[in-house]
Amino acid sequence: MKILVCVSCVPDTTSKVSFTEDNKFNKENIQFIIGPYEDYALARAVELKEKNNEIDISLLNIGLSENDPLLRKGLAIGADRAYRINSEPIDSNFVAHNIASFINKNNFDLILMGKESIDYNSGLVHYLSGSILNIQTFNPVTYLDLENDKSVIIKRETDSGIEKIKAKLPLILGCQEPIAEWKIPNMRGIMNARSKELSVIEPVGVKASLKLDKYTLPPEKEEIKYIDKDNLELLIDELKLKNL
Amino acid sequence: MSTLVFIEFNKNTISESSSQAATIANELHNDVYGLTSNNDESYISSLGSKGFDKIFVIDDLNNYSAIEEVINSNGIKTILSPSSNTFKELSSKISTKLNFPIASNVLKIDKNGKISCSIFTGKAESHMINDNDSCIYLLNKNIVESQDFEKKADIVKVDSKVSENSSFEILEQKFIEEDISLNDADVVISAGRGLKGPENWQMIEDLAKKLNAATACSKPVSDAGWRPHHEHVGQTGLKISPKIYFAIGISGAIQHLAGVNSSKTIIVINNDPEAPFFKAADYGIVGDAFEVVPKIINSLG
Repeated sequence: MKILVCVSCVPDTTSKVSFTEDNKFNKENIQFIIGPYEDYALARAVELKEKNNEIDISLLNIGLSENDPLLRKGLAIGADRAYRINSEPIDSNFVAHNIASFINKNNFDLILMGKESIDYNSGLVHYLSGSILNIQTFNPVTYLDLENDKSVIIKRETDSGIEKIKAKLPLILGCQEPIAEWKIPNMRGIMNARSKELSVIEPVGVKASLKLDKYTLPPEKEEIKYIDKDNLELLIDELKLKNL
Repeated sequence: MSTLVFIEFNKNTISESSSQAATIANELHNDVYGLTSNNDESYISSLGSKGFDKIFVIDDLNNYSAIEEVINSNGIKTILSPSSNTFKELSSKISTKLNFPIASNVLKIDKNGKISCSIFTGKAESHMINDNDSCIYLLNKNIVESQDFEKKADIVKVDSKVSENSSFEILEQKFIEEDISLNDADVVISAGRGLKGPENWQMIEDLAKKLNAATACSKPVSDAGWRPHHEHVGQTGLKISPKIYFAIGISGAIQHLAGVNSSKTIIVINNDPEAPFFKAADYGIVGDAFEVVPKIINSLG
């Protein structure tokens, strides 16, 4: 069985966000990580491989060579090979078309992504890729197990609750906790990762559908008003003012 | 030109997100259409008051080709949608099949094609220009106040056969029994590790009841199993933007703030005056939650 895990490389969750004068994300002093949701996806793929060694895990990222150390980390965690499409991930549409084109050339049974990338948060790449490829997509998926070579059991959150589903492969899944526990690479994994293949692929051109004008930081919050814990009237008045 | 709004329901009434979408749709174009799979005709026809001129009722929102036909035959170029998964999936299909650009986490739209979106989980905004004649906007909640209109909504039944979903089978469905959904709540009462244990959540639920609010929690609390995962708000949990967010006994790590920083008013209760959350708050109460929360409940009468 062939599993593809698509990962974003994003600023660490504690990063202070700023932009350069020419409207780019300011990467200075920023620590990049594999997106937390994709980290769950990768961890689940590796857990499945631990139970069934027939499983082959490919890692895919769209980004520049600065992401290679993170892909090596993914290989150290347990992926068998990695591919990097050599371009900035311009927008969801661009990313989805490039993923779809890659999947068309290399068949996979199961494609795992995160629920969303934590930088631009659109949460659309799985749905868009699924639509381009006509592959059934589920998101967010909190449980995944293989039933056999052809089908899986998953749980996904819906707008009103949780559904347990039996679904035929191929599938695209947007993963979320508690699908797996995050994994940290061990020494043996790190050694093995050095000899695993990391291929670089040129992107397919897709025109950005919306043009970027600029990035801004949100307006500053007004100064906090402290309310005395022994005199809560101000708070109660405020709540009443809002018709509560 | 006409705008299509995807109508989401909360229990049996239109969700606040969809009402807000209809308000924005009326600012953009005169003709505002709705799409829903709810077939309660008497209720649907009352939605003129939310700003709809016409509502398309379809049996199954998974019937993509019927929806595409509605869009094509009614000259719809603009679609406004709440950011629920059902409608995100449908919007993605429309975007790829009909080549409509799509924008997520939308904060603002203007008639000239300028769009502002929330990015980096609320830590920044992107401003985009759309020079296509079409667009799908997935809206953030509470970016406008919904308004009332004096319109009459016509109902149009869309002919649709049940779509075939042979590739999967739903084995089990569990509905989350909440009085108020976290996504749709105007007020959210959230609590963290400062509450010391799951047995102390009664006062949180009591306060939520008084304020007609939903309850939420921080990641450590859901990780510890004190509260269910679906209550976890923050960078890796649910992102919410209620009118009022109460943070009780939550220190305010940057990952938590990211999920709640677009709330209109943030009220922080914490016994540690150095808690980082106070920097992001509109109102702060330095004090013991076990003392302050019951007092608030009492004062609300």
